[in-house]
Amino acid sequence: MGSSGWMYGQTFSDAIMMKKKEICFAIMYDQGTWDEYWEGTNLITNENIGTFTRSTFTPMIAYGITDKLNVLLATPYVSTKSDGGQLAGVQGFQDVNVALKYEIIKMDFGKHRVSALAVAQFGTPMTNYLSDYMPYSLGLGTQQLTGRAIGQYEFNKMIYLRASAAYVWRGQTEVERPYYYNNGSYYTTWMDVPNAVNYQAILGGWLLNHNLRLEASYNVMNSVSGDDIRRWNMPQPTNKMESTQAGFFAQYYLKAIEPLKGFSLMAYYNQVLEGRNVGKTTEFGGGITYQFTF
Amino acid sequence: MKKITSISLCLALIIASVTGCENELPTFYKFTSYEFANLDEDGGTWQPILFASASDIVIAAPSAVNSPEYQAELSELKAASQNLNGSQADAVDYWTNNPIIRWNEIALELAAKYNLIPPPNPDGTYTLPSPANPAGPPPFPFAHPPYTSRMLAYLSVAQFDGLIAAWHYKYQFNRPAPYETDPGITYAYAKNSLPSYPSDGAVIAIVSRDILKAMFPLEHDYLNGLAEEHLNSLKWSGSNTTSDIDAGTAIGTAVKTAALARASTDRMSSAQTPKPVSDAIKQAAIDRFGWWWDNQEAPVRPVGLTPLFGQVIPWNVPNIVDVRPVPPPAPGTPEFEEDAQELKNFAKNLTVEQRKIANWWSDGLGTYTPPGHWNRRTKEYIVKYEMNPLRAARTFAYLNMAVMDAGIACWDAKYYYHYPRPIQTMKGFKTILGTPNFPSYTSGHSTFSGAAAEVLAYIFPAEAAVVRDWALEAAESRIYGGIHYRFDSEAGITQGKAVAAYTIARAQADGADN
Repeated sequence: MGSSGWMYGQTFSDAIMMKKKEICFAIMYDQGTWDEYWEGTNLITNENIGTFTRSTFTPMIAYGITDKLNVLLATPYVSTKSDGGQLAGVQGFQDVNVALKYEIIKMDFGKHRVSALAVAQFGTPMTNYLSDYMPYSLGLGTQQLTGRAIGQYEFNKMIYLRASAAYVWRGQTEVERPYYYNNGSYYTTWMDVPNAVNYQAILGGWLLNHNLRLEASYNVMNSVSGDDIRRWNMPQPTNKMESTQAGFFAQYYLKAIEPLKGFSLMAYYNQVLEGRNVGKTTEFGGGITYQFTF
Repeated sequence: MKKITSISLCLALIIASVTGCENELPTFYKFTSYEFANLDEDGGTWQPILFASASDIVIAAPSAVNSPEYQAELSELKAASQNLNGSQADAVDYWTNNPIIRWNEIALELAAKYNLIPPPNPDGTYTLPSPANPAGPPPFPFAHPPYTSRMLAYLSVAQFDGLIAAWHYKYQFNRPAPYETDPGITYAYAKNSLPSYPSDGAVIAIVSRDILKAMFPLEHDYLNGLAEEHLNSLKWSGSNTTSDIDAGTAIGTAVKTAALARASTDRMSSAQTPKPVSDAIKQAAIDRFGWWWDNQEAPVRPVGLTPLFGQVIPWNVPNIVDVRPVPPPAPGTPEFEEDAQELKNFAKNLTVEQRKIANWWSDGLGTYTPPGHWNRRTKEYIVKYEMNPLRAARTFAYLNMAVMDAGIACWDAKYYYHYPRPIQTMKGFKTILGTPNFPSYTSGHSTFSGAAAEVLAYIFPAEAAVVRDWALEAAESRIYGGIHYRFDSEAGITQGKAVAAYTIARAQADGADN
């Protein structure tokens, strides 16, 4: 119930490529809070949760295997808590995520550029965290494979429009109870975690002599199946989670300042607008990247 | 290009590993019908629970096997059991020759479906489920552990008494199985010499349907549909003719009437009290002991769960105060502090193994509750030991009487002592399980489990060590979860055992274990 580490997800879905032997390290911090959540499609508050906070600290590496093929790695560390009720928050490493990003097309028409990319991303839990402790759980506790297609059109090397679509295959998560209800009895410790689709639309631009990148985003992440949280009940990994969010993102490259060349600073804000079985999250984040060539 | 090929091959393998090779997710217990270890031919002489003897229920004698009406029934059965379509064959496989198992599962499923705590209204008040307005909101019932223990007890007792009567008449009238009289009829299950009149399957279908309809008034359509399929499967499987089924239906109807008459006067209807009564119960504890329990939710629930469940009429415990434990240590005493400190230590350093135990036995809101958990294990033993339906019903009946009595005894102690939970006595204490809306002492899980394990140890002596270990683990799980002190759990196990002793004494005297 709630996204985590939106930022690295964003990096996995943008159109930026490392050149061969370029490497980029990033450290990002992300804080999502909500005090309302959708129980099914009903937006409710629960004083026994109060305000819920999910903090994600993500070290990340991107590397250019070739100019056309990059590999990315991220290992989010998540902590959760709430200021209402008596349930304990948890913290720990969530899932290791590895992605291959391949630039299929890069064509210039004068000052305009069209590019198309494909990303394959694989994530799997790094620790034996309990997925069945929502909303506090660190993650969904299952393997996830994402196939993504990205298209971008850049006008005058200044403004770009990017769209991406992805399908997320999710496996099963093993929980610690031998029975659960999902519109019927399940006599097993395994839960099916629904697959999901993700659509993104981004309007971006370069300012300040290509040192500042600004983006406005619209992001939809919907499970393709699953059940609703029952009335005043805990969520569980089988839930049909849907969220539509809008956000802003800025990245400033310190190219002009000689000792800091290679560094960039990022900041972003996202707001969930519509949802189902998720928190109405407001998310702030920021990070620093360092890029160099071997 | 070669690289791309190998990358895509690699991806295909990952997709296969994420989406393929997935574990099967069973929604009911998978077993095939089996040959019964024993037919319990004298089962009709056993002592029922709700009746003085099996012959209190009267059914007509069947027509002779060579009579034209019975021959017509056999022809009808032959037609009905031939050329089954896919769903008919599935129904025969599903219901098996021990359909007690299925109705117990259906009961657990409904418990899980209805085990949802009423939410607060926008103004911070709570509306309680009401049998007068079952649709709610909130819907009736809230199938919490006491409710579920009682639901299962009536279900199992009615099944047991109905089958004692069925056995009584089976061996009185000795009508052979249809396939014995007419070799042209195929029987889907393992053959045995059990007489067919009245149909034991029909007894089970009718009592189960009707007890569960009374307990879950919003599920009439669902239960009618299941019972209809079950009754039809008795013909599809070649088990019973129409008159067998009609006689079973008559027994089932008589037994459910007696069971529901008891249920209507067992004081459950006043277990959930109005606030003034609840406040008086709390004040009595303050006067006696100087401590009290308060609900810690927001908004505060004005009344705990079923404060007078302790006054519901037990099945086998003549005087519930006889199994009431000694008082718990007062908050602030060294004895209390020791167990409170243990909880803080677990909260700080819980191992993954301990966390798993806490969750394994949690059986909280939205699940089949601890009584359901023990029914599920009992079901597995019934199949393992190849019990016939009568033996199976007897096992569930004693289990669930003891479990309901354990709930009554536990609730008596809970509201007599009105002892505060760890989240109330220790400011800022956080837990990994939700704290329920009733006092701490004694632990319900421990009491239910202590009683259940003793009954199972009596019925399945070879499993005694295993089930007693489970009970201790269930008791321990509440300490790991941070919602009970060790003295709650220990007193609960002892109380559960004391309650079970009464049930076991009754079982020893019912004629089945002679």
